[in-house]
Amino acid sequence: MLEVRRLGKTFGPGNALFEAVDLDVARGEWVAIVGESGSGKSTLLNIVAGLDQPDRGEVRLDGKPLDFGDDDALALWRRRHVGFVFQSFHLLAYLSVRENVALPLALIGIHGSEREQRAQDALQAVGLGSLGARRPGSLSGGEMQRAAIARALVHAPRLVLADEPTGNLDESNAGAVLACLRDAVKRAGAAALMVTHSRLAAAASDRVMRLAGGRLFPEPR
Amino acid sequence: MNAPLALLLLRGTLAANGLRLALTLASIALGVALAGAVHTVHTSALAEIDRAAHALAGKADVEIRGPRSGFDDALFARIASRPEVLAASPVVEIEAALANGADRLRILGIDALRAVRLQPAFVVDAAKTGAGSVERLFDERAIWLSPAAAATLKAREGDALTLLSGSEARALRVAGILAGMQAGGELGVMDIAAAQSLFARVGSISRIDLRLRPGVDLARFRADIAGLLPPGVVASAAASLSGRAAAISRAYRVNLDALALVALATGAFLVFSTLALQAARRRQEFALLRALGVTRRGLALILTLEGALIGAVGAAIGTALGLYASRFLLERVGGDLGAGFFSAARSAFTPDVAALAFIAALGIGMSIAGALWVARAVGRIEVAEALRDRAVDLPRASATGGKLAVLLVAAGIPLLFLEPIAGLALGGYGAIGAWLAASVLCVGPLCRALLARAAPPDAPIASLALAQVRHLPGHLAASVAGIVVSASLCVSMAIMVHSFRVSLEEWLTGVVGADLYVQSPSTSSAFSAEDLRSLAALPEVASIEALRFDRLVLDADGPPVTLIARPINARILDGFQAQPRGLPPPGPDIPVWISEAARDLHRWKAGDRIRLPIAGRETPVVVAGVVRDYARTWGAVLMPAERYRALTGDTGANDLAVHLARGVDAKAGEAAIHRALPRARGLAFEDAAELRRRSLAIFDRSFAVTYALEAVAALAWSRRREFGVLRFLGLTRGDVLRLLALEGAASGALGAALGLVSGIAISLVLVHVVNRQSFHWSLEVHWPFSTLIALMVSVIALCAIGARVSAAFAVRKEAVLAVKDDA
Repeated sequence: MLEVRRLGKTFGPGNALFEAVDLDVARGEWVAIVGESGSGKSTLLNIVAGLDQPDRGEVRLDGKPLDFGDDDALALWRRRHVGFVFQSFHLLAYLSVRENVALPLALIGIHGSEREQRAQDALQAVGLGSLGARRPGSLSGGEMQRAAIARALVHAPRLVLADEPTGNLDESNAGAVLACLRDAVKRAGAAALMVTHSRLAAAASDRVMRLAGGRLFPEPR
Repeated sequence: MNAPLALLLLRGTLAANGLRLALTLASIALGVALAGAVHTVHTSALAEIDRAAHALAGKADVEIRGPRSGFDDALFARIASRPEVLAASPVVEIEAALANGADRLRILGIDALRAVRLQPAFVVDAAKTGAGSVERLFDERAIWLSPAAAATLKAREGDALTLLSGSEARALRVAGILAGMQAGGELGVMDIAAAQSLFARVGSISRIDLRLRPGVDLARFRADIAGLLPPGVVASAAASLSGRAAAISRAYRVNLDALALVALATGAFLVFSTLALQAARRRQEFALLRALGVTRRGLALILTLEGALIGAVGAAIGTALGLYASRFLLERVGGDLGAGFFSAARSAFTPDVAALAFIAALGIGMSIAGALWVARAVGRIEVAEALRDRAVDLPRASATGGKLAVLLVAAGIPLLFLEPIAGLALGGYGAIGAWLAASVLCVGPLCRALLARAAPPDAPIASLALAQVRHLPGHLAASVAGIVVSASLCVSMAIMVHSFRVSLEEWLTGVVGADLYVQSPSTSSAFSAEDLRSLAALPEVASIEALRFDRLVLDADGPPVTLIARPINARILDGFQAQPRGLPPPGPDIPVWISEAARDLHRWKAGDRIRLPIAGRETPVVVAGVVRDYARTWGAVLMPAERYRALTGDTGANDLAVHLARGVDAKAGEAAIHRALPRARGLAFEDAAELRRRSLAIFDRSFAVTYALEAVAALAWSRRREFGVLRFLGLTRGDVLRLLALEGAASGALGAALGLVSGIAISLVLVHVVNRQSFHWSLEVHWPFSTLIALMVSVIALCAIGARVSAAFAVRKEAVLAVKDDA
């Protein structure tokens, strides 16, 4: 579903972050990318998300290439087809948990009772069905990340991108969040790409790739 | 972006600091209220004048009017007998003083049998007017009052009313109340012959009201009778008073409107800086929305809606406040806000709905404009970086800001040389707007340049303060920009007002050279030649300068010129700052000195030979020089008294400038004059001319205070997480508060310094261009050093205090909570 072909990114002359990166992620597959700090993992993720521009190469989702020259088109594409899980959760403090989860639905024009119901179902799926009316600030870190996972998948995206989803969590919460994320991704049948430092997170994925020396290699388990 | 989503996300605005939002709303509301109140007051006054003018004109089509001293009543017969005229009515207008000497009453002397056809409201029981009531109408002691005059004088039918003629008291009887003259203002009506006799106006009338036959072309008629009218007498459309009042007061009204709109613009700028600083705080939120798929345009729409919401609520509150304030001002201060353009008659509250809607729309539009400007910056957010929370500053201002600032400065220069358009200094206003915008645009680049060069101080807290500010140049720029705008306006107004005051005081010192000034009770009365001889003979009096005033009508549509006949010598001319200086050599030509307003409005200059309508004759005179006259904006002409008397035979005087003998004080002089003129009543004595002041300082200060507090408060709040971190590092609460106070003082100092430079430039435009073109007054620039220093110190102190106070709120919570504050 996700195809990355000969992707390259440089920062300044003669300073290539990565070059000729190829990657395929199938529907329902969860791929983790690991690597040293500064290797370009997050940059690679941002390019796949359409939030950064590559210097060469292309990204395709279901055979359709991303037009990196059209910012609005990328935003609309993300709206419909991408779900995000961030290290810092990024829930809006002035919305309730349910409203946060429902935000992607509102963006694609789903309102009223359908939006409410789908958001509640998403919360239920991650075990937060009774916390929808609360504010994010009253939740624990693990609960906030699960709410973020619900938000990432509520609109049935084809691609889920996770940037250090367990970076701010202790081991116990990290395990629960990873299980939640895996379950949600498989249920949705989305392709999932995760960037992580955590061995635990990498182990939870279907396949691990290492970004090193500007290239992407399969990481032996 | 869809409507339900936009409404959902607008909660972000309301979730922000309520105090900041309230201050922002208050600033918009204040700006709209000021602009609305000023405009409503003036509109009401002009509407009242218009109503009164039309009420007085009645069914008349044309009015023929002349100088204040009147014109030969023989003209009436020649005009009234013309075939185009259906009805004609002669009128004598007198401003008479009441017995107490302090109050005035406008009196119209009419021929009732003629007036009833044009202005039936002038005649009580007009339907019954006929032979039986003639005796009552022609009673020379009878006066009829308008309802407004009766209310003010607390007079009823049958009451006695004493008026002053010259300085002698004349007893009249209130014969009735003119119910139909509700809109006519405060006036009294009496028989024309009685008025002429009573007030020494025999053979003279002030006005002829005409009604033309159907089908007669007004313009053609005016052209046909032009040859019949003596110099200084013109024919114009009836009720032209309202147009003249509007013309005379326009520059003053426009300047006050501009000032009020500046208040509005400052409030709108506060909206911009609030949204800009909020944008810094909500940077991650905006980045998240972009990541989730909100387009740049969608984000701009959210911010625009926020600006529109703030503007709309502020405008609604401001409009209501403005209406309330205008009612209050109309009742307490009058329709000209104390400037003296309109009479003291009470103006009915007449709001101009269209104008108020425009002002409200302007407030909303300015808020939206500020929001759009912020949206442009927000659109440049580096989404990925912002999500990582690596940069918490505002997006860097566009690189073109500095260049645009230079262009705006340059663009303002040719505007300074534009001639006034329709009597308004639009070029000057344009230059001020351009330079103000330039000062805002250059704040960002200047802040960055200064911060790059500033050497880190030794003290750790001060060093940390500088480092923090260096880290957030965008914050600093947004805060400083607001201070620059309000400081610029405060500084420019302070310099302009101070320059005006000092120039006026210097002028007054020159022209007010006598020890005592005596004013006759009304413009229609005068000191006689005998009075003057009596006074000059007093041992307490060293000398007397007699001043005679008249109002000359030069054309039908323009404002009249004031003729001042008075003794003129080198000392007097020096006092008036005449150019060229000194007296011309004696000769057959009558020399006159014109005011700067007369020079500008009539395009006269020194050396010109002009003709003035004096005593019904076109009198050739030579302009000997130009003088300063801060008392009149519509032009004045000074003529030597002896030349005036020779032309007119008029030996009376309206005002006297009395030089007292050595050792005689003003009180003794006044007592001596009273003894010399025992029958004189209502004389006004004063020992200095009256100064007019504008109260801008309170307005300027409160905006500066509001802005400074707001800017620094915003800066403090968006940095709450850093405070928590600093506490973990070992800084005490007091250290953090000192840190913020230092940052606040630094912002205030930078803003004050830039505002000072910008304000000085704007003040020069106000003095040399706006004031000159609007009021035709030249001023010298005087620097209010102590005021400026106090202003700068106040801004810096308020910024520091405001930062400390708002930081006290921000660090009140435990540091743990501050760090945990993730959203």
